[in-house]
Amino acid sequence: MPTRAAKSASLRLTVLIAGVMVLVSLGGLWFQYGQVARAFDARQVEALQADLDGYSALYDQRRIPALRQAMEFRAHAQVGYDRVFLLLDKQHAFLGGNIPDWPKGVDTSATEFTADPVQWFEYTLPNGESGRFMGVARSLPGGFPILVATSLAQKQALMADMRATIALAGGIMVALSILAGWLVSRLVITRIDRVNRVVDQVAGGTLGARIPGARSDDEFGRLETHVHDMLDRIETLQNATARLSDNIAHELRTPLNRIRQGLDRVQGQDAVVAGLKGELNDTVRVFEALLDIASAEAATGDLPGLAPVNLSELCEQLFELYEPLGEERDLQVGADIAPNLWVVGDRALISQMVANLLDNAMKFTGAGDSVTLTLDHAGGRHRMRVTDTGPGVPVELKERLFEHFSRGEPARGVTGHGLGLALVRAIAARHGAKLHILPQDKGFAVECLWPKVDPM
Amino acid sequence: MTKPPVLIIEDDPVSAETIAEVAQGLGCHTQIEDTYDTGLAAATGGVFELIIVDRMLPGGDGIDAIAKLRGAGSNALVLVVSALGRAANKIEGLERGADDYLAKPFDADELRARVQALLRRARMQTSDNDLLVFGDLEIRLKARTVHYQLTHIKVTPKEFDLLTFFARNAGESVTRMQLLSEVWNLHFDPGTNVVDVHISRLRRKLEADTGVTYIHTARGEGYVFSPVAPEAA
Repeated sequence: MPTRAAKSASLRLTVLIAGVMVLVSLGGLWFQYGQVARAFDARQVEALQADLDGYSALYDQRRIPALRQAMEFRAHAQVGYDRVFLLLDKQHAFLGGNIPDWPKGVDTSATEFTADPVQWFEYTLPNGESGRFMGVARSLPGGFPILVATSLAQKQALMADMRATIALAGGIMVALSILAGWLVSRLVITRIDRVNRVVDQVAGGTLGARIPGARSDDEFGRLETHVHDMLDRIETLQNATARLSDNIAHELRTPLNRIRQGLDRVQGQDAVVAGLKGELNDTVRVFEALLDIASAEAATGDLPGLAPVNLSELCEQLFELYEPLGEERDLQVGADIAPNLWVVGDRALISQMVANLLDNAMKFTGAGDSVTLTLDHAGGRHRMRVTDTGPGVPVELKERLFEHFSRGEPARGVTGHGLGLALVRAIAARHGAKLHILPQDKGFAVECLWPKVDPM
Repeated sequence: MTKPPVLIIEDDPVSAETIAEVAQGLGCHTQIEDTYDTGLAAATGGVFELIIVDRMLPGGDGIDAIAKLRGAGSNALVLVVSALGRAANKIEGLERGADDYLAKPFDADELRARVQALLRRARMQTSDNDLLVFGDLEIRLKARTVHYQLTHIKVTPKEFDLLTFFARNAGESVTRMQLLSEVWNLHFDPGTNVVDVHISRLRRKLEADTGVTYIHTARGEGYVFSPVAPEAA
């Protein structure tokens, strides 16, 4: 399932959409966070400015003593260190404030009692806590440094809270997206899989397979309906083809049979009758081969009708059938057949194929030539080869050799209808076997690579 | 011996007539029906030794009748004679209970050989003789051996099967197609006469070991197994 889910287009699409939504939402939250931070800063600057305005008024009235007095009073009155303030004398000794010493790194950069420029600094308070502060430092005329600052602890706490909320919201959104994506893709995969399963069955040869249950009134339902319409049409065509070949057989063979029976009644013209009977047989063989080719091609990929076949045994039987014929014709016939190799197939068709190959090889070779049948296992397939050392086939013909009615030049004098190899090809295709003509210095060699099955 | 009753279910009058002539020539009593329904009714209603049935009949496929026939308790042998004559059709027919299958257009000699073999089988069904004897020639079926007087004749397994089939049909003509389907279990016509070569080998082997010609070329398309020449028989 994990690999299938990873390969699912619907899952990828849902994850993509959910991902974009999550990113947009998180972006919005982050923008909000920035706004809050800026608003808070602005409020603190305002508060700082209010403090500074107060000190400025005192300084304008009575200079340093007023500032010192006010700071002493505030230091006693104020609880905590929300605001920190410090006034030093010319020798930088403590004059007033709620912290004892000047924070490191803070310059007396301001020239007025205004919150500009502000400075940020770290400071460890007398109660031992350290925190971050924002403030204004100025050197008053005569060399008295003054610092007024506000703690950022509250803001930091608020921002931390916000960040935690955003993280939680983000996490929940991601989790919900994954869940939604999984559900949607499950839904889509289930629906699509219904169609896929049936199409697989049909490709596997069960032409009558249909999607069970009712069609829903949506795009999936319409897809299923279309698939069904298509399959119905294919099935009708296939049945029509089968019926047609049966009808051809019936409509041709019945009159041919009457001719045949009529010939038996002809008296005194034995040679003519024998010739006509031969022609009649050839006619039947040709259309039989054509129908065999057509039905093997139509059945290509069909599993029904196929059964495990011991290819080794079958090759041995056919070799045994043809061996005396080869010897009779002074051929050197040989076979090298590995035992117990099985294929899934139609025994009659495979027999016919092997017979056709052996027949061809013996037909197109002369005395002294050799004909060899080999069967072994190579590269995950069963390799069957029929090799001869006869005249072979010209290169330009090799391409067309498996086509209907094509015959090599030396073959013109030999009986046959030129359908043997076309039938061989159709039978190989019926079984998913790969058929090649092997490049050969002398003679002709056909190789057939069968899909294997485990021995029964 | 009474005339063996043979039922012919065939809608083509020319074929029906030929089949009837062949059967009558073999001493059978024939009855002809020309539709599926009348044929099936006749087959289940009467007692027949052999039923010769077509496939594409008005009203149905003769193959479908076989199961119904067996269901009705008939053990008549069934020969299908049909225009559906490809190897696949034959195998289907044999798998669905036909005892033999002949494609149209057929040769009267071929039909005669098939009918003869089936009639003989119908009569031999009860005897499970282990020994087939033809004068000095003895064939032991279980041991799969062939002897002439006291000499053991070495034959290959296929030659033994071939000889047995011949011997079971001794005195009657058997055809190449019959041999291909009965001995080699192949249901197509290879075009080349591979069977002839096997037969001439067996004939030569028997002649060399016994001095007697057992296998004779018959008129038409077949062979006859007989310790004496068929013309003289």
